[in-house]
Amino acid sequence: MNGITFDGIFFAMVGAAIAGLACCGSAMGIGIAGQAASGVVSEDPKKFGQALLLQALPGTQGIYGLLIAFVIMNKIGLLGGSGALDLTMVQGLYILASAVPVGLVGIVSGSAQGKAAAAAIMLISKRPEEVAKGMVYTAMVETYAVLALLISFLMLNSIQL
Amino acid sequence: MEKLAVIGLSSEQGAFIEELMRLGVVQINAQESKLCDEKWNGLIQKDDAGKWVSKWEAELDRIENALILLDRFIDRKAPLIRERARISEREFDSTLEYEYEIRRQMLRLTKLSRRYSHMLLRENKAITARQALLPWQSYDIPAQDYKTQSTQVWQGVIPGMNDSADFLKILTDKTGYADAEVVHSDNEQHYISVVFYEPAAEEVQCVLRDLGFNRIALPINSGSVKEAIEELEAQLDALRDERKSIVEQVRSFESFEPTLKMYYDEIAMRKDRAVIREKFLVTDSTFYLEGWYPKIARKKVEALLLDRNCYYEITQPGKEEETPVLLLNKGIVQPFEAITKLYSLPASRGIDATPFFSFFYALFFGMMLSDAAYGIIITAGTFLIRRKYHLEGMLKQLVDMFFFCGISTTFWGLMFGSFFGDIITQVSTNFFGHAVHFPTLWFSPINDPMKLLFFSLGLGLIHVFLAMGISAYMAIRDGQPMDALFDTGFWYILILSLIGYLGGGMVEGAPAALPVVCKWLALGSALGIVATGGRQKKGIIGKIVGGLGSLYGITGYLSDVLSYSRILALGLATGVISSVFNTLGTLAGSGLMGALVMLLAFCIGHPYNIAINALGSFVHSCRLQYVEFFGRFYQGGGEGFRPFCENTKYVTILKEEL
Repeated sequence: MNGITFDGIFFAMVGAAIAGLACCGSAMGIGIAGQAASGVVSEDPKKFGQALLLQALPGTQGIYGLLIAFVIMNKIGLLGGSGALDLTMVQGLYILASAVPVGLVGIVSGSAQGKAAAAAIMLISKRPEEVAKGMVYTAMVETYAVLALLISFLMLNSIQL
Repeated sequence: MEKLAVIGLSSEQGAFIEELMRLGVVQINAQESKLCDEKWNGLIQKDDAGKWVSKWEAELDRIENALILLDRFIDRKAPLIRERARISEREFDSTLEYEYEIRRQMLRLTKLSRRYSHMLLRENKAITARQALLPWQSYDIPAQDYKTQSTQVWQGVIPGMNDSADFLKILTDKTGYADAEVVHSDNEQHYISVVFYEPAAEEVQCVLRDLGFNRIALPINSGSVKEAIEELEAQLDALRDERKSIVEQVRSFESFEPTLKMYYDEIAMRKDRAVIREKFLVTDSTFYLEGWYPKIARKKVEALLLDRNCYYEITQPGKEEETPVLLLNKGIVQPFEAITKLYSLPASRGIDATPFFSFFYALFFGMMLSDAAYGIIITAGTFLIRRKYHLEGMLKQLVDMFFFCGISTTFWGLMFGSFFGDIITQVSTNFFGHAVHFPTLWFSPINDPMKLLFFSLGLGLIHVFLAMGISAYMAIRDGQPMDALFDTGFWYILILSLIGYLGGGMVEGAPAALPVVCKWLALGSALGIVATGGRQKKGIIGKIVGGLGSLYGITGYLSDVLSYSRILALGLATGVISSVFNTLGTLAGSGLMGALVMLLAFCIGHPYNIAINALGSFVHSCRLQYVEFFGRFYQGGGEGFRPFCENTKYVTILKEEL
C-alpha cells in the first residue's frame, strides 16, 4: 500500500479521535448556553451561579468522549509503560466502530442540549425558583448521550484483544 | 389540614392577631365571597387597615434605604452564606423599647443619604462645567470685559475639519468691524474668540453664521477662565471632602446596624399584621376569620382561641375541597423534601412521595458518584457547613440531603474500590515501584460493566415497581381496588413472568418448568391487560383498541427501566475521568518533578471532577425520580401552606417556652 501500512493501531487511534469529536458537541452546547447566560446575567448578576450550573450541563458529552478515547488508548496499551499491543486490522476496525456512537451522538446531543440549556437559562431569568425543572429538561437530552456512551463502552468491552 | 372559623370581640382583635402571628400555624383565607353573599353582606364589612399598611410600608422603605446606605459604605466581606441573626425574644423586645431613639437615628441616616446624593449631584455639575471650560484654559480676557461700551466679545466653536486660518482670513476680509483669535484646537473643534464693534453687530453676526460659527456662553461671570477653573476645582475638593465626611459619619453607624435590622423586622411584622386585617370581616364589635391549620397544631390553636374568648368552629375539609399542603416528614427523609419541592408540592389529595424515594435518591447519587474520597469530602463539607452556620429552609434541607448522599457515595466508593479514582495504585506504582491497590469490597465496574448494568436495571425495576405499588395503593384508598388489580397487578405479573420466561433458562438449577409456567402467566396477564385496559372506552371496538394500546405501554416500562443504565454510565464517567487525571499526573515519571506534576494534576483534576460529576449525579438522580418514579403516580400542583407568622428578614426571634 504505497509503503504506508494501515495497521490495527492506526484504526484504533482513529477511533479514539472520533470519540474525542464528542467535544465538538459540548463546545457548541456550552457556547450556546453561555450566550444566553451572559444575556441573563447582564440583567441580574445574582443569577451567575444558577446560570453557570445550567451552562455546565452540556459539558458531559465531551467527558464521555474523553472517557471512551481513554479506554481505547488504555486497551491498546498506549498509556501503559509496556508499549502498544500488536493489533490486527480487523481488531482496529472493531475499535474504530465502537467509538462512532459516542463521537457522533456527542456532537448532535451536545449542541441540542446547549439549546435546551439556553432555554432553561431564559427560564431562570423569569422564575429563578424553577431552576430544578430547567435542569431536568436539559438533562432529558443527555439521556441519549448516556446511551451512546454505554453502547460504545459495551462494544469496546466485548472486543477481545 | 383542618378548617377553622372564628368569631371574636373587636376589643381583643389586636392582641389576638399578635398572638396568632407568634404561634404561626394558621393560614388565614381571604373572604371575598362572603362579602358578596347576601346573607352576610348586610351584617359585616371588610376590616380596613389600608392606612396602616401604607404607613408601615413607607417606614419600611425608609429603613431599607438606610440599610442600603450602611451596606454601601461599610467595608466588609460578604458572608459565604447569608444567615439570620438569632435573637431571644426578650432581647428583641428590650431593644425595641427604644423605638423612638432608633427611629431618630434612622432618620439621621436618611438625611445623610439625601445629603450624599445632593453632593454627588453638585459634584457632577461642577465636573461638567470644568470640562466645558478646559479648552479655554489659556483664554485670558476676564468675563466682565466681554461686553464694553462699544465692543462685544463672543466665544464659540467651528467644526474641526474647517481650516481656522481660512476662518480668520475670511472674517477680516468680509467685515472690517471684527477680529478673531483661535484659543485652542482639538480633533473636533476650533475654539475661537471674536471681538467686534457693537453697532456693526448684525453685519458681523451674518458673516459668522455663514462661516459655521457656533456661539457658546461660557459659564462664568467674572474673572478669567483659568480663575474659574481653579475655583471649580477648589469647589470640587470641598465637595469631595464633604462626601468623605458623610461616608465617615455613615460608617460610625456600623454598630447601629443590627438594631436597625431588628427595627426593620418589627415594622415588617406590623405591616404583615395590618395586611392580615384586610382578610378579616368585622362588625361594630366583633371580628370574623376563616383559615387552615395543620391537625397536629390543634391543641395550641384551641388554647389561644379560648384564651382570647373567641367562639370557634372546626370543620374537616370536604372531599372536593383543595387544602393548602404542608410536607411533614420526620428524621432522615426530611431533607429530601427539597427534591419534592423542586418538582412541585403534591396535590391536596395526592401523596407525599418523599419517604418513598429518599432512600433511592441517596442510593442512585452514591452509585453515580461512587468514589470514597469524594464521598468523604462531601460528607465532611456539608457537616462543617451545618456546624458553622444556622441554615434555614430549603438550603438547610439541601445541605442535609447532600450529607446523606455523601455517605452513600462513600459506601459505593468502597464497594467499587475507588478512592480519587485509582490514585493509590498509580502513585504506588509510579513513585514506589510496586502496586498497592485500594480494597474493592464488591467488584470494579470498569472491569465488569455488565454486572453493574444488570444491577442498575434491577434497582430500576424495583424503583418502578414501588411507584406502581403506590399508584395501586392510591386506587385502593379511593375505593377502586379493581383499578389497582388491572393497572398494577397484571403488569406486575406480566413483567415478572416475562423476566422468568426469557431469563429463567439462563439460571442454572432453576426448575425446568419455570419458563413454561412463566410463559402462560405472561400470556394470561397480557390477555388481562388487553381485556381491561380499555374499560373506560365506549363500544366494543373502543375497548379492544384501548386494551391493545395499554398493552403497547410495555415499551414504556422497557424504556423506563433501561433509563437506569445511566447509573452505570455516570459511575464510569467519574471513575475514568479521575484515572485520566491520575494518569496525566504520572506522565512526568517519578522524582521531584514527577511529584510536582502529580500534585498539579491532582489539584486541578479532582476538584473539577467532583464539581462536574456531583452536578451530574444530582441532576440525573432527580431525573430518575421525576420522570421514572413520579410519572407513575404523583399528582403535583398543590398550593403550599403559608401560615400567618413572623416572617422576618434579618433576625430569627427565638421563643422562650414559658
